[in-house]
Amino acid sequence: MNDALKMQVSAFVDGELPENETELLVRRLSQDYELRQQVADYLSVGRVMRRESGVAGIERLRDRISAELDERPSQDNADRAPVSDPSRLLRPLTGVAIAATVALIAIVGLRQTPEPGVDEIPDAVADLGADGSYTERASSDDLLRHYRLIHGEVASDFDANGINARLVTLQLREGAPVDEVPDEDDVSATDVAEDSVPATTRQQ
Amino acid sequence: MRPRCNRIAAAWIALSGLFAAAPVLAADAVAPHEWLDRMANAVRTTNYEGTVIRQHNGTVEALRVAHKVTDGVIRERVVVQEGNGLEIIRNGNEVHCILPERKSVLVEEWNNQSTLFSTLPSSDIRFGSEYDIAIVRNDRIAARKAVMLAIRPHDNFRYGHRIWLDMETGFPLQTQLIGDDGKPLEQVRFADIKLDSDILASALASSYNTENFKWYTQPSRRLNNAVETNWNAEDLPTGFRVVSTQQEQVPGAEDPVLHILYSDGLANVSVFVATKKDKNIAQRSRVGASNAYSTDTGNYRVTAVGEVPAVTVQQIAESMRPGD
Repeated sequence: MNDALKMQVSAFVDGELPENETELLVRRLSQDYELRQQVADYLSVGRVMRRESGVAGIERLRDRISAELDERPSQDNADRAPVSDPSRLLRPLTGVAIAATVALIAIVGLRQTPEPGVDEIPDAVADLGADGSYTERASSDDLLRHYRLIHGEVASDFDANGINARLVTLQLREGAPVDEVPDEDDVSATDVAEDSVPATTRQQ
Repeated sequence: MRPRCNRIAAAWIALSGLFAAAPVLAADAVAPHEWLDRMANAVRTTNYEGTVIRQHNGTVEALRVAHKVTDGVIRERVVVQEGNGLEIIRNGNEVHCILPERKSVLVEEWNNQSTLFSTLPSSDIRFGSEYDIAIVRNDRIAARKAVMLAIRPHDNFRYGHRIWLDMETGFPLQTQLIGDDGKPLEQVRFADIKLDSDILASALASSYNTENFKWYTQPSRRLNNAVETNWNAEDLPTGFRVVSTQQEQVPGAEDPVLHILYSDGLANVSVFVATKKDKNIAQRSRVGASNAYSTDTGNYRVTAVGEVPAVTVQQIAESMRPGD
Protein backbone atom coordinates (compact mmCIF):
# COMPACT_ATOMS: atom_id res chain seq x y z
CA MET A 1 0.00 0.00 0.00
CA ASN A 2 1.76 3.15 -1.16
CA ASP A 3 1.57 6.67 0.19
CA ALA A 4 -0.58 7.88 -2.69
CA LEU A 5 -3.24 5.33 -1.86
CA LYS A 6 -3.07 6.22 1.81
CA MET A 7 -3.65 9.85 0.90
CA GLN A 8 -6.57 8.85 -1.27
CA VAL A 9 -8.18 6.83 1.48
CA SER A 10 -7.64 9.55 4.04
CA ALA A 11 -9.11 12.12 1.68
CA PHE A 12 -12.12 9.91 1.04
CA VAL A 13 -13.00 9.39 4.67
CA ASP A 14 -12.53 13.10 5.22
CA GLY A 15 -14.99 13.75 2.39
CA GLU A 16 -12.36 15.52 0.35
CA LEU A 17 -11.67 13.11 -2.49
CA PRO A 18 -12.95 14.24 -5.92
CA GLU A 19 -15.66 12.05 -7.39
CA ASN A 20 -13.59 10.76 -10.31
CA GLU A 21 -10.83 9.66 -7.93
CA THR A 22 -13.43 8.17 -5.62
CA GLU A 23 -14.69 5.95 -8.41
CA LEU A 24 -11.20 4.70 -9.11
CA LEU A 25 -10.54 4.08 -5.43
CA VAL A 26 -13.78 2.18 -4.88
CA ARG A 27 -13.22 0.05 -7.97
CA ARG A 28 -9.69 -0.75 -6.94
CA LEU A 29 -10.74 -1.74 -3.41
CA SER A 30 -13.68 -3.79 -4.64
CA GLN A 31 -11.33 -5.84 -6.80
CA ASP A 32 -8.54 -6.43 -4.32
CA TYR A 33 -9.30 -8.08 -0.99
CA GLU A 34 -5.74 -7.85 0.27
CA LEU A 35 -5.66 -4.17 -0.43
CA ARG A 36 -8.89 -3.72 1.49
CA GLN A 37 -7.27 -5.53 4.40
CA GLN A 38 -4.26 -3.26 4.20
CA VAL A 39 -6.49 -0.21 4.14
CA ALA A 40 -8.35 -1.52 7.15
CA ASP A 41 -5.10 -2.04 9.02
CA TYR A 42 -3.79 1.36 8.01
CA LEU A 43 -6.93 3.12 9.16
CA SER A 44 -7.35 1.17 12.34
CA VAL A 45 -3.81 1.52 13.61
CA GLY A 46 -3.73 5.20 12.77
CA ARG A 47 -6.98 5.77 14.51
CA VAL A 48 -5.97 3.90 17.59
CA MET A 49 -2.84 5.95 17.91
CA ARG A 50 -4.71 9.18 17.40
CA ARG A 51 -7.31 8.10 19.94
CA GLU A 52 -9.95 9.18 17.52
CA SER A 53 -13.46 7.99 17.39
CA GLY A 54 -16.38 8.07 15.05
CA VAL A 55 -17.28 6.35 11.86
CA ALA A 56 -18.95 8.30 9.14
CA GLY A 57 -16.98 8.15 5.91
CA ILE A 58 -16.63 4.46 6.31
CA GLU A 59 -20.36 4.00 5.84
CA ARG A 60 -20.17 5.65 2.47
CA LEU A 61 -17.08 3.66 1.58
CA ARG A 62 -18.83 0.41 2.44
CA ASP A 63 -21.91 1.38 0.47
CA ARG A 64 -19.89 2.35 -2.54
CA ILE A 65 -17.88 -0.86 -2.54
CA SER A 66 -20.99 -2.97 -2.03
CA ALA A 67 -22.70 -1.21 -4.91
CA GLU A 68 -19.67 -1.79 -7.08
CA LEU A 69 -19.72 -5.48 -6.24
CA ASP A 70 -23.41 -5.75 -6.93
CA GLU A 71 -22.77 -4.55 -10.44
CA ARG A 72 -19.88 -6.85 -11.12
CA PRO A 73 -21.55 -10.25 -11.32
CA SER A 74 -23.39 -9.38 -14.50
CA GLN A 75 -20.18 -8.12 -16.08
CA ASP A 76 -18.36 -11.20 -14.93
CA ASN A 77 -21.03 -13.47 -16.32
CA ALA A 78 -20.61 -11.94 -19.69
CA ASP A 79 -16.89 -12.40 -19.65
CA ARG A 80 -16.45 -15.76 -18.01
CA ALA A 81 -17.69 -19.29 -18.08
CA PRO A 82 -20.54 -19.54 -15.61
CA VAL A 83 -19.47 -22.59 -13.61
CA SER A 84 -15.79 -23.17 -14.14
CA ASP A 85 -14.72 -19.79 -12.82
CA PRO A 86 -13.89 -20.33 -9.15
CA SER A 87 -14.32 -16.65 -8.46
CA ARG A 88 -18.03 -17.10 -9.12
CA LEU A 89 -18.22 -19.63 -6.38
CA LEU A 90 -16.63 -17.14 -4.05
CA ARG A 91 -18.88 -14.33 -5.11
CA PRO A 92 -21.51 -14.73 -2.38
CA LEU A 93 -18.76 -14.50 0.18
CA THR A 94 -17.18 -11.42 -1.27
CA GLY A 95 -19.80 -9.06 0.03
CA VAL A 96 -19.49 -10.57 3.46
CA ALA A 97 -15.73 -10.25 3.31
CA ILE A 98 -16.01 -6.62 2.40
CA ALA A 99 -18.54 -6.04 5.09
CA ALA A 100 -16.21 -7.74 7.53
CA THR A 101 -13.27 -5.66 6.40
CA VAL A 102 -15.22 -2.47 6.64
CA ALA A 103 -16.63 -3.58 9.94
CA LEU A 104 -13.08 -4.10 11.09
CA ILE A 105 -12.43 -0.49 10.27
CA ALA A 106 -15.66 0.47 11.94
CA ILE A 107 -14.70 -1.27 15.14
CA VAL A 108 -11.74 0.95 15.64
CA GLY A 109 -13.38 3.92 14.04
CA LEU A 110 -12.26 6.92 12.14
CA ARG A 111 -12.48 10.62 12.65
CA GLN A 112 -14.79 12.01 10.09
CA THR A 113 -15.24 15.55 9.02
CA PRO A 114 -19.00 15.82 8.87
CA GLU A 115 -20.70 16.79 5.70
CA PRO A 116 -23.17 19.61 5.91
CA GLY A 117 -26.51 18.35 7.07
CA VAL A 118 -25.16 14.96 8.05
CA ASP A 119 -24.82 13.78 11.62
CA GLU A 120 -21.19 13.71 12.55
CA ILE A 121 -21.03 10.11 13.67
CA PRO A 122 -23.44 7.32 12.97
CA ASP A 123 -23.73 5.81 16.39
CA ALA A 124 -22.55 2.38 15.36
CA VAL A 125 -19.58 0.13 15.28
CA ALA A 126 -19.66 -3.53 14.51
CA ASP A 127 -19.11 -6.96 15.96
CA LEU A 128 -17.44 -9.53 13.75
CA GLY A 129 -18.74 -13.04 13.85
CA ALA A 130 -16.61 -16.09 13.24
CA ASP A 131 -18.33 -16.52 9.89
CA GLY A 132 -17.46 -13.02 8.80
CA SER A 133 -20.88 -11.65 9.61
CA TYR A 134 -21.22 -8.57 11.67
CA THR A 135 -23.76 -6.73 13.68
CA GLU A 136 -23.78 -3.09 14.47
CA ARG A 137 -23.83 -1.70 17.94
CA ALA A 138 -23.54 1.54 19.81
CA SER A 139 -20.17 3.25 19.70
CA SER A 140 -20.47 4.68 23.19
CA ASP A 141 -17.86 2.13 24.28
CA ASP A 142 -15.29 4.41 22.74
CA LEU A 143 -15.97 7.02 25.38
CA LEU A 144 -15.76 4.42 28.12
CA ARG A 145 -12.53 3.10 26.64
CA HIS A 146 -11.07 6.60 26.80
CA TYR A 147 -12.20 6.83 30.41
CA ARG A 148 -10.41 3.57 31.19
CA LEU A 149 -7.22 4.70 29.46
CA ILE A 150 -7.22 8.04 31.27
CA HIS A 151 -7.90 6.29 34.57
CA GLY A 152 -4.96 3.96 33.99
CA GLU A 153 -2.62 6.78 33.07
CA VAL A 154 -3.57 9.11 35.89
CA ALA A 155 -3.66 6.33 38.47
CA SER A 156 -0.17 5.28 37.40
CA ASP A 157 1.05 8.77 38.29
CA PHE A 158 0.23 7.94 41.89
CA ASP A 159 1.44 4.38 42.17
CA ALA A 160 3.09 1.64 40.23
CA ASN A 161 1.11 0.10 37.44
CA GLY A 162 1.29 -3.66 37.22
CA ILE A 163 1.44 -5.97 34.27
CA ASN A 164 -2.26 -6.70 34.36
CA ALA A 165 -3.20 -3.07 34.06
CA ARG A 166 -0.59 -2.58 31.35
CA LEU A 167 -1.74 -5.50 29.25
CA VAL A 168 -5.38 -4.54 29.60
CA THR A 169 -4.44 -1.07 28.46
CA LEU A 170 -2.59 -2.49 25.48
CA GLN A 171 -5.56 -4.66 24.57
CA LEU A 172 -7.78 -1.64 24.78
CA ARG A 173 -5.45 0.29 22.53
CA GLU A 174 -5.14 -2.52 20.07
CA GLY A 175 -8.85 -2.94 19.54
CA ALA A 176 -11.94 -1.61 21.09
CA PRO A 177 -13.78 -4.13 23.21
CA VAL A 178 -16.80 -5.07 21.19
CA ASP A 179 -18.62 -8.03 22.58
CA GLU A 180 -21.95 -7.28 24.16
CA VAL A 181 -23.45 -9.70 26.64
CA PRO A 182 -25.69 -9.18 29.61
CA ASP A 183 -24.15 -9.02 33.02
CA GLU A 184 -24.58 -12.19 35.06
CA ASP A 185 -26.32 -10.39 37.86
CA ASP A 186 -28.33 -7.97 35.84
CA VAL A 187 -29.82 -8.65 32.45
CA SER A 188 -30.21 -5.00 31.62
CA ALA A 189 -29.78 -4.46 27.91
CA THR A 190 -27.24 -1.75 28.58
CA ASP A 191 -24.84 -4.02 30.41
CA VAL A 192 -21.56 -4.86 28.72
CA ALA A 193 -18.95 -7.48 29.56
CA GLU A 194 -15.94 -6.29 27.68
CA ASP A 195 -13.78 -9.24 28.54
CA SER A 196 -15.75 -11.42 26.22
CA VAL A 197 -14.13 -10.03 23.11
CA PRO A 198 -14.30 -12.72 20.46
CA ALA A 199 -11.09 -14.07 19.04
CA THR A 200 -11.85 -12.58 15.66
CA THR A 201 -11.63 -9.09 17.03
CA ARG A 202 -8.77 -9.70 19.45
CA GLN A 203 -6.60 -10.64 16.54
CA GLN A 204 -7.08 -7.41 14.64
CA MET B 1 -15.29 -18.84 51.95
CA ARG B 2 -12.68 -16.64 53.52
CA PRO B 3 -12.89 -18.04 57.05
CA ARG B 4 -12.44 -21.51 55.55
CA CYS B 5 -9.41 -20.29 53.64
CA ASN B 6 -8.05 -18.79 56.82
CA ARG B 7 -8.44 -22.06 58.63
CA ILE B 8 -6.65 -23.86 55.83
CA ALA B 9 -3.93 -21.23 55.83
CA ALA B 10 -3.56 -21.53 59.59
CA ALA B 11 -3.32 -25.29 59.31
CA TRP B 12 -0.76 -24.92 56.57
CA ILE B 13 1.30 -22.55 58.63
CA ALA B 14 1.25 -25.03 61.49
CA LEU B 15 2.36 -27.82 59.17
CA SER B 16 5.01 -25.61 57.65
CA GLY B 17 6.25 -24.91 61.13
CA LEU B 18 6.59 -28.60 61.78
CA PHE B 19 8.39 -29.53 58.61
CA ALA B 20 10.24 -26.37 57.68
CA ALA B 21 10.76 -24.50 60.89
CA ALA B 22 13.86 -22.59 59.92
CA PRO B 23 12.49 -20.89 56.78
CA VAL B 24 9.28 -19.93 58.57
CA LEU B 25 11.22 -18.28 61.32
CA ALA B 26 13.31 -16.49 58.76
CA ALA B 27 10.24 -15.17 56.99
CA ASP B 28 8.47 -14.27 60.21
CA ALA B 29 11.51 -12.41 61.40
CA VAL B 30 10.64 -9.77 58.83
CA ALA B 31 7.43 -7.83 59.32
CA PRO B 32 4.89 -7.91 56.47
CA HIS B 33 5.35 -4.23 55.68
CA GLU B 34 9.10 -4.75 55.51
CA TRP B 35 8.52 -7.50 52.97
CA LEU B 36 6.56 -5.02 50.86
CA ASP B 37 9.40 -2.54 51.14
CA ARG B 38 11.80 -5.25 50.02
CA MET B 39 9.52 -6.02 47.14
CA ALA B 40 9.34 -2.40 46.04
CA ASN B 41 13.12 -2.15 46.14
CA ALA B 42 13.57 -5.46 44.30
CA VAL B 43 11.19 -4.43 41.53
CA ARG B 44 13.16 -1.21 41.06
CA THR B 45 16.64 -2.69 41.09
CA THR B 46 16.61 -6.39 40.14
CA ASN B 47 17.63 -7.68 36.74
CA TYR B 48 15.65 -10.72 35.70
CA GLU B 49 14.80 -12.96 32.82
CA GLY B 50 12.07 -15.56 32.72
CA THR B 51 8.70 -16.84 31.60
CA VAL B 52 5.54 -15.45 33.09
CA ILE B 53 2.18 -17.18 33.03
CA ARG B 54 -0.73 -14.77 33.20
CA GLN B 55 -4.20 -16.04 34.00
CA HIS B 56 -7.33 -13.98 33.83
CA ASN B 57 -10.95 -14.70 33.05
CA GLY B 58 -10.26 -18.32 32.32
CA THR B 59 -7.55 -17.56 29.78
CA VAL B 60 -3.88 -18.30 30.13
CA GLU B 61 -1.05 -16.67 28.25
CA ALA B 62 2.69 -16.95 28.46
CA LEU B 63 5.06 -14.03 28.29
CA ARG B 64 8.81 -14.13 27.89
CA VAL B 65 10.38 -11.30 29.87
CA ALA B 66 13.85 -9.79 30.15
CA HIS B 67 14.44 -6.81 32.43
CA LYS B 68 17.60 -4.87 33.16
CA VAL B 69 18.22 -1.72 35.16
CA THR B 70 21.33 0.32 34.47
CA ASP B 71 21.92 3.54 36.43
CA GLY B 72 18.21 3.69 37.13
CA VAL B 73 17.23 3.33 33.48
CA ILE B 74 14.94 0.39 32.79
CA ARG B 75 15.39 -1.70 29.67
CA GLU B 76 12.83 -4.39 29.17
CA ARG B 77 11.49 -6.80 26.60
CA VAL B 78 8.19 -8.65 26.89
CA VAL B 79 7.08 -11.07 24.21
CA VAL B 80 3.62 -12.61 24.15
CA GLN B 81 4.30 -16.24 23.31
CA GLU B 82 0.97 -17.01 21.64
CA GLY B 83 -1.49 -15.25 19.41
CA ASN B 84 -0.39 -12.08 17.71
CA GLY B 85 3.23 -12.23 18.97
CA LEU B 86 3.04 -8.78 20.50
CA GLU B 87 6.43 -7.49 21.62
CA ILE B 88 6.97 -4.71 24.09
CA ILE B 89 10.41 -3.12 24.06
CA ARG B 90 11.15 -0.58 26.73
CA ASN B 91 14.14 1.71 26.85
CA GLY B 92 13.80 4.12 29.73
CA ASN B 93 10.47 5.83 29.46
CA GLU B 94 10.06 5.09 25.75
CA VAL B 95 8.09 1.96 24.98
CA HIS B 96 7.66 0.34 21.60
CA CYS B 97 4.70 -1.99 21.20
CA ILE B 98 5.46 -4.07 18.12
CA LEU B 99 2.50 -5.63 16.32
CA PRO B 100 4.13 -8.05 13.86
CA GLU B 101 0.90 -9.02 12.14
CA ARG B 102 0.15 -5.41 11.39
CA LYS B 103 3.79 -4.57 10.69
CA SER B 104 3.30 -1.66 13.01
CA VAL B 105 5.07 -0.14 15.97
CA LEU B 106 3.16 1.91 18.52
CA VAL B 107 5.39 4.25 20.48
CA GLU B 108 4.28 5.12 23.99
CA GLU B 109 5.77 6.96 26.90
CA TRP B 110 5.58 5.35 30.33
CA ASN B 111 6.47 7.08 33.52
CA ASN B 112 9.15 6.00 35.95
CA GLN B 113 6.65 4.28 38.21
CA SER B 114 5.36 2.01 35.47
CA THR B 115 7.06 -1.30 35.86
CA LEU B 116 5.51 -4.44 34.56
CA PHE B 117 5.80 -6.46 37.73
CA SER B 118 4.55 -4.31 40.48
CA THR B 119 0.89 -4.50 41.23
CA LEU B 120 1.15 -2.58 44.45
CA PRO B 121 1.90 0.99 45.40
CA SER B 122 5.38 2.04 46.30
CA SER B 123 6.64 1.42 49.79
CA ASP B 124 5.91 4.90 51.07
CA ILE B 125 2.18 4.38 50.72
CA ARG B 126 0.80 3.17 53.98
CA PHE B 127 -2.35 1.13 54.18
CA GLY B 128 -5.12 2.46 56.30
CA SER B 129 -7.43 0.36 58.38
CA GLU B 130 -9.14 -1.02 55.29
CA TYR B 131 -6.68 -3.86 54.83
CA ASP B 132 -4.83 -6.40 56.91
CA ILE B 133 -1.48 -7.65 55.74
CA ALA B 134 -0.09 -10.93 56.97
CA ILE B 135 2.52 -13.53 56.21
CA VAL B 136 0.60 -16.68 55.37
CA ARG B 137 3.13 -19.37 54.65
CA ASN B 138 6.30 -20.37 52.91
CA ASP B 139 6.02 -21.73 49.44
CA ARG B 140 8.03 -22.59 46.38
CA ILE B 141 7.55 -20.73 43.11
CA ALA B 142 9.66 -21.17 39.97
CA ALA B 143 11.99 -23.44 41.92
CA ARG B 144 12.73 -20.70 44.44
CA LYS B 145 11.79 -20.39 48.08
CA ALA B 146 9.09 -17.83 48.55
CA VAL B 147 7.07 -16.25 51.32
CA MET B 148 3.39 -15.72 50.72
CA LEU B 149 1.77 -12.50 51.90
CA ALA B 150 -1.96 -11.79 51.98
CA ILE B 151 -3.48 -8.35 51.86
CA ARG B 152 -7.09 -8.76 52.93
CA PRO B 153 -9.70 -6.04 52.74
CA HIS B 154 -12.07 -5.57 55.64
CA ASP B 155 -15.09 -5.12 53.40
CA ASN B 156 -16.35 -5.94 49.92
CA PHE B 157 -15.49 -2.56 48.40
CA ARG B 158 -11.99 -3.58 47.32
CA TYR B 159 -10.07 -6.60 46.17
CA GLY B 160 -7.53 -8.55 48.12
CA HIS B 161 -4.01 -9.50 47.04
CA ARG B 162 -1.77 -12.48 47.53
CA ILE B 163 1.90 -12.04 46.83
CA TRP B 164 4.65 -14.62 46.77
CA LEU B 165 8.01 -12.93 47.32
CA ASP B 166 11.37 -14.47 46.68
CA MET B 167 12.79 -15.31 50.10
CA GLU B 168 16.26 -14.16 49.11
CA THR B 169 15.57 -10.93 47.24
CA GLY B 170 11.94 -9.95 47.90
CA PHE B 171 11.17 -10.06 44.21
CA PRO B 172 7.48 -10.91 43.47
CA LEU B 173 7.39 -14.35 41.89
CA GLN B 174 3.63 -14.59 41.86
CA THR B 175 0.76 -12.20 42.46
CA GLN B 176 -2.98 -12.76 42.65
CA LEU B 177 -5.86 -10.36 42.73
CA ILE B 178 -8.58 -11.82 44.93
CA GLY B 179 -12.30 -11.23 44.48
CA ASP B 180 -14.79 -10.99 47.32
CA ASP B 181 -15.51 -14.72 46.98
CA GLY B 182 -11.91 -15.47 47.88
CA LYS B 183 -11.07 -16.69 44.40
CA PRO B 184 -8.28 -15.27 42.22
CA LEU B 185 -9.49 -12.87 39.54
CA GLU B 186 -6.09 -12.48 37.95
CA GLN B 187 -2.75 -14.15 38.46
CA VAL B 188 0.76 -13.45 37.27
CA ARG B 189 3.29 -16.17 38.03
CA PHE B 190 6.84 -16.86 36.96
CA ALA B 191 7.21 -20.37 35.61
CA ASP B 192 10.96 -19.90 35.50
CA ILE B 193 13.16 -16.99 36.41
CA LYS B 194 16.80 -15.99 36.66
CA LEU B 195 17.33 -13.21 39.16
CA ASP B 196 20.23 -10.78 38.92
CA SER B 197 21.62 -12.61 35.94
CA ASP B 198 23.58 -11.01 33.15
CA ILE B 199 21.06 -9.91 30.59
CA LEU B 200 22.51 -9.89 27.11
CA ALA B 201 21.75 -6.95 24.86
CA SER B 202 20.18 -9.35 22.39
CA ALA B 203 17.63 -10.40 25.00
CA LEU B 204 16.41 -6.82 25.17
CA ALA B 205 16.22 -6.20 21.44
CA SER B 206 13.25 -6.85 19.23
CA SER B 207 13.24 -10.08 17.29
CA TYR B 208 11.65 -8.30 14.36
CA ASN B 209 13.25 -6.13 11.76
CA THR B 210 10.99 -3.12 12.07
CA GLU B 211 12.69 -1.14 9.34
CA ASN B 212 9.73 -1.44 7.02
CA PHE B 213 7.10 -1.28 9.75
CA LYS B 214 4.84 1.70 10.12
CA TRP B 215 5.59 3.69 13.26
CA TYR B 216 2.89 5.50 15.16
CA THR B 217 3.60 7.80 18.04
CA GLN B 218 1.02 8.19 20.71
CA PRO B 219 0.37 11.86 21.31
CA SER B 220 1.22 12.78 24.86
CA ARG B 221 -1.78 13.02 27.08
CA ARG B 222 -2.61 16.63 27.65
CA LEU B 223 -1.86 17.27 31.27
CA ASN B 224 -4.61 19.28 32.79
CA ASN B 225 -4.31 21.55 35.74
CA ALA B 226 -6.02 20.67 38.93
CA VAL B 227 -9.41 22.28 39.25
CA GLU B 228 -11.68 23.04 42.12
CA THR B 229 -15.00 21.24 42.09
CA ASN B 230 -18.10 21.08 44.21
CA TRP B 231 -18.82 17.54 43.10
CA ASN B 232 -18.33 14.96 45.78
CA ALA B 233 -19.34 11.45 46.68
CA GLU B 234 -21.88 11.50 49.50
CA ASP B 235 -21.52 7.78 50.17
CA LEU B 236 -17.84 7.14 49.63
CA PRO B 237 -16.66 3.73 50.90
CA THR B 238 -14.47 4.01 53.96
CA GLY B 239 -10.85 4.82 53.33
CA PHE B 240 -11.19 6.33 49.86
CA ARG B 241 -10.11 9.92 49.53
CA VAL B 242 -9.72 12.40 46.68
CA VAL B 243 -6.26 12.15 45.16
CA SER B 244 -6.64 14.52 42.22
CA THR B 245 -9.31 16.59 40.48
CA GLN B 246 -8.81 17.81 36.95
CA GLN B 247 -10.55 18.51 33.69
CA GLU B 248 -9.93 16.19 30.77
CA GLN B 249 -10.55 16.77 27.10
CA VAL B 250 -11.84 13.32 26.21
CA PRO B 251 -12.15 12.29 22.55
CA GLY B 252 -15.81 11.72 21.85
CA ALA B 253 -16.99 14.06 24.59
CA GLU B 254 -18.28 17.43 23.47
CA ASP B 255 -17.29 19.39 26.55
CA PRO B 256 -14.38 18.97 28.94
CA VAL B 257 -15.00 16.20 31.44
CA LEU B 258 -14.42 16.55 35.16
CA HIS B 259 -12.17 13.73 36.41
CA ILE B 260 -11.88 12.97 40.12
CA LEU B 261 -9.49 10.22 41.23
CA TYR B 262 -10.21 8.47 44.51
CA SER B 263 -7.78 6.09 46.22
CA ASP B 264 -7.65 4.09 49.41
CA GLY B 265 -3.88 3.76 49.07
CA LEU B 266 -4.16 0.53 47.11
CA ALA B 267 -7.29 0.65 44.94
CA ASN B 268 -8.08 3.56 42.63
CA VAL B 269 -11.43 4.74 41.29
CA SER B 270 -11.87 7.47 38.70
CA VAL B 271 -15.13 9.40 38.45
CA PHE B 272 -15.89 11.22 35.21
CA VAL B 273 -18.63 13.84 35.18
CA ALA B 274 -19.78 14.82 31.69
CA THR B 275 -22.72 16.71 30.30
CA LYS B 276 -25.58 14.41 29.36
CA LYS B 277 -25.50 15.45 25.73
CA ASP B 278 -22.54 13.15 25.20
CA LYS B 279 -23.24 9.62 24.10
CA ASN B 280 -24.81 7.06 26.34
CA ILE B 281 -22.48 4.71 28.14
CA ALA B 282 -23.21 1.14 29.12
CA GLN B 283 -24.52 1.26 32.68
CA ARG B 284 -22.26 -1.56 33.80
CA SER B 285 -19.14 -2.93 32.16
CA ARG B 286 -15.97 -4.73 33.13
CA VAL B 287 -12.51 -5.35 31.70
CA GLY B 288 -10.57 -7.87 33.72
CA ALA B 289 -10.83 -6.79 37.33
CA SER B 290 -11.78 -3.27 36.32
CA ASN B 291 -15.42 -2.33 36.65
CA ALA B 292 -17.33 0.69 35.43
CA TYR B 293 -20.74 2.07 36.29
CA SER B 294 -22.54 4.98 34.66
CA THR B 295 -25.59 6.88 35.87
CA ASP B 296 -27.32 10.17 35.26
CA THR B 297 -27.50 12.90 37.86
CA GLY B 298 -29.49 15.92 36.78
CA ASN B 299 -28.03 17.13 33.52
CA TYR B 300 -24.84 15.19 34.00
CA ARG B 301 -23.67 11.68 33.30
CA VAL B 302 -21.45 10.27 36.04
CA THR B 303 -19.19 7.31 35.26
CA ALA B 304 -17.00 5.56 37.82
CA VAL B 305 -14.14 3.33 36.66
CA GLY B 306 -11.65 1.36 38.72
CA GLU B 307 -10.00 -1.91 39.66
CA VAL B 308 -12.54 -2.54 42.37
CA PRO B 309 -15.66 -4.68 42.68
CA ALA B 310 -18.75 -3.62 40.77
CA VAL B 311 -20.53 -2.58 43.96
CA THR B 312 -17.85 0.02 44.66
CA VAL B 313 -18.08 1.88 41.35
CA GLN B 314 -21.87 1.72 41.55
CA GLN B 315 -22.02 3.16 45.05
CA ILE B 316 -19.56 5.92 44.27
CA ALA B 317 -21.20 6.88 40.97
CA GLU B 318 -24.70 6.94 42.39
CA SER B 319 -23.67 9.03 45.36
CA MET B 320 -21.96 11.76 43.34
CA ARG B 321 -23.70 15.11 43.82
CA PRO B 322 -22.84 18.66 42.78
CA GLY B 323 -22.35 20.86 45.81
CA ASP B 324 -23.88 24.27 46.29
